[in-house]
Amino acid sequence: MAIRVTLDRLLLERRMSLTELCERVGITLANLSILKTGKARAIRFSTLTALCRELQCQPGDLLLYEPSPDDLEVEEAVQAAE
Amino acid sequence: MKALGRGSIASFLHTALLFAWVGLWVAAALVLGALGYSLFLAFTREGAINAAALSELGGAGWQVVVPALLGAGVAIGGGLVIVWRLRRLFESFSTGDPFRRENAQHLRVIWIALLIMELARYATLALFSALMATYGPPEGARIDYDPDLNLWNWAEILILIVLAEIFREGARLREEQELTI
Repeated sequence: MAIRVTLDRLLLERRMSLTELCERVGITLANLSILKTGKARAIRFSTLTALCRELQCQPGDLLLYEPSPDDLEVEEAVQAAE
Repeated sequence: MKALGRGSIASFLHTALLFAWVGLWVAAALVLGALGYSLFLAFTREGAINAAALSELGGAGWQVVVPALLGAGVAIGGGLVIVWRLRRLFESFSTGDPFRRENAQHLRVIWIALLIMELARYATLALFSALMATYGPPEGARIDYDPDLNLWNWAEILILIVLAEIFREGARLREEQELTI
């Protein structure tokens, strides 16, 4: 997926464990692990809000866009069409 | 009464399908037994095993017996496949979890089995007609058959194709929901 969740970096910076975060935001450890390992397909605004509140960050600090080769092809096709 | 989960209509049907499953195996055993017994009689007619008697298998009515046995074999074999898949399907419904990928696969196998059975029915009827035209009916017998195109069977197949796709889409949405944090 082109969107990467940088939760591990933020946790390291905040010196916070995943268990502590899951207790604070009220999400199960299993679900937070899915998010951390990049297996999640989508994230609810409520989850994002809770994470940003507890990690004291912006959504942009949590999410990173890394285009895959397919995405780059689409971008090139759009640019060529323009 | 609830439709899904433990103690539901689905779990009642799951139990009913177990009886259908056993019944079909009994029918399969009876057909095989009848076939084996007729072979045994044909071979031992002269007090000893006689392979030459194979050509006389079924006596004067072989042109009726052969398509009938083929039809019964396809019907029972197809029935076993369908009931087995239905049992798996209703087992899943009994747990209250219908949208699984394997359920879409079960429905797919069921409609394919129904399609094969329907086509095999036409093939058997064609074989029967050809045998009747070539050899005529058995002596003293009046054969009356109706080679109909059963539209309801085709409607069932089309409905199952759509249902299989619905279950596939349902399973995809469920997986998506599970991975939404």
